[in-house]
Amino acid sequence: MRRAKVFSGSSHPELADFICEKLGIPPAPVTLKKFSNQETSVEIGCSVRNEDVYIIQSGSNNINDHLMELLIMISACKGSSASRITAVMPYFPYSKQSKKKKYRGAITAKMVANLLSVAGVDHIITMDLHASQMQGFFNKPVDNLYAEPSIAKWIQDSVPEYNNGVVVSKNAGGAKRVTSLADRLKIDFALIHTECTRGSHQSVGNQVTEISTLSSTSSSNHDNVFHTSNMTTNLTTSIVDGKLDDVNDDDVPLSKESIDEETSSTITLVGDVAGKVVFIVDDMVDKSGSFIAAAEHLMKKCNAKRVYVIATHGILSGDSIKEIERCKSIHQLVITNTFPIPHEKRCQSTKIVIIDVSATLAEAIRRTHNGESISYLFYTAL
Amino acid sequence: MSSNSIKIFAGSSHVELTKLVAKQIGIDLSKVVVLKYSNQETSVTIGESVRDEDVFIIQSGCGEINDNLMELLIMINACKTASARRITAVIPCFPYARQDKKDKSRAPISAKLVANMITVAGANHVITIDLHASQIQGFFNVPVDNLFCEPSMLKYIKTHVPEWKNGVIVSPDAGGAKRATSIADHLNLDFALIHKERKKANEVSRMVLVGDVNRKVAIVVDDMADTCGTLALAAKTLKERGATKVYAIVAHGILSGKAIDVINGSDLEKLVVTNSIPHEDKKAICSKLDTIDISPTLAEAIRRTHNGESVSFLFSHAPE
Repeated sequence: MRRAKVFSGSSHPELADFICEKLGIPPAPVTLKKFSNQETSVEIGCSVRNEDVYIIQSGSNNINDHLMELLIMISACKGSSASRITAVMPYFPYSKQSKKKKYRGAITAKMVANLLSVAGVDHIITMDLHASQMQGFFNKPVDNLYAEPSIAKWIQDSVPEYNNGVVVSKNAGGAKRVTSLADRLKIDFALIHTECTRGSHQSVGNQVTEISTLSSTSSSNHDNVFHTSNMTTNLTTSIVDGKLDDVNDDDVPLSKESIDEETSSTITLVGDVAGKVVFIVDDMVDKSGSFIAAAEHLMKKCNAKRVYVIATHGILSGDSIKEIERCKSIHQLVITNTFPIPHEKRCQSTKIVIIDVSATLAEAIRRTHNGESISYLFYTAL
Repeated sequence: MSSNSIKIFAGSSHVELTKLVAKQIGIDLSKVVVLKYSNQETSVTIGESVRDEDVFIIQSGCGEINDNLMELLIMINACKTASARRITAVIPCFPYARQDKKDKSRAPISAKLVANMITVAGANHVITIDLHASQIQGFFNVPVDNLFCEPSMLKYIKTHVPEWKNGVIVSPDAGGAKRATSIADHLNLDFALIHKERKKANEVSRMVLVGDVNRKVAIVVDDMADTCGTLALAAKTLKERGATKVYAIVAHGILSGKAIDVINGSDLEKLVVTNSIPHEDKKAICSKLDTIDISPTLAEAIRRTHNGESVSFLFSHAPE
């Protein structure tokens, strides 16, 4: 690639190395450090004048520092007369906050988009945005790549009985993603619905309590109550379970609703998984609670054969990996390497499988640089 | 002295709704004349002073959609240059809302373009109902209040569907699953999902029903009904799977093309839409069509916005 420079931010150097290897060029030199007062300092180590610059920076557990670093790097390249600056953000930070929550929420993803534009970015390459509408937050072109071809390829290569499988979404919001993968693999899909039944129907502000009270209520599990109306058919089964800590991924973790004292939730499976291999698919795995609850429900109540948890972005905050390792109902956890997972964390689990998507990102960079169409990458795994 | 009172202007797309809203608030519509020059250019004359007033312009995205959009932009701009203190565009049905993402290669994000146009014209605030995707709020740099029909729909189901307690809420596609589950939760009913499998282009697609509707009343919920092909096909599928009756409740009844013929010939018991889009003429030739009046919600949102009160109450309650 002539007149192109690829810089790596400090969030995910491993992925950046993979991408550079595939492109056949070394990462461009840059010194990233912090002053003693925690200010980020960036020194671009080579000329970028009239060059096509790509900066690879994913979200990470140190999200604000790495975002700031990206903004400073963009600004530094802009100030050094780069001809075009493309931010390659495999996982887009703050992408969960892409809409106003019911009351007075900030659309932080939009603000991040504004920050990037102001810093001077000309183009954004990202993967599996939480909501594809986010492309409209920018006034610059955004290329949203999909991990789906790579995931579908992995399933076809590694799961022998995938033909007899079912793709399951663990909430209604992910139904579209799931149907798309099911169509691609030509298999069925199903949907899990978690209904929050509350003691008092109005969510009252002063009922906000620590999240620990929720786990204490989970110990007083109601016995598995089957809805009598559902007994006529095996298609729909329900249990009452208070275990879900992140009932709805779109909820802010500490929203009043999710930690309402008297919350107990009913898991309902819509569809049939008996005797089949199940793929629970979502765009990200952050906390493990809802995945574990879904897997337990599918294995124990719905007689699934095996459960795979598949997601593009493995954020896996806190003790999620250990919890998934402990959960006997989950056979394997499959994620891509868009989000950095430290080595010691990876060692905590034998179930974790990481799909390498660097080839897709590298090809997107190459095609962008050469002015070729990238739509080929939407359907094809590399 | 500045009065800063509410001025409501009616765009020509939906004068009836504007009149209802103004009646609820208890004021008269402000005077505006909208004409077209012979070369089809839109011309707007604001008929009274708006200096330092709180202006609300009600224009829905329907009918001659581009003409109506242009008219809205010109009205906003006319009020802006006439020194209005604040201009709120009240857009019950947001035009181009379905073009909100690059779902195919090189697809334009037209909803973003419309948002930019409204902002550039000079709107300070936008009020709308049931956006196709709530992320559209992020397309604007001005505040957007996205109101929900859900409370009104719930009220309608409870009062007008006699057998609702034996019902199942059905989403006609995967994208609407969240809306359907939310309504199912509020009514304490089960829900089901219909998925259209797309084999190849121009091939008749198969409909898969996930969930159980046997001997139940199916209530199909969606945010938009345009040509109604999907709804009719969904109703047929649901009947085949044993549903006793099929109701459809939809926020925005665009009902374009052959929609009325399709509904008349379908298995639907009733199609219920809100009056975010005018459809009185269609009601005359389709007995299955019924209306939910959302003007109280809009009127209350306008009143609260003007008085600087919180509008979040309206997200969960339907005012009378």
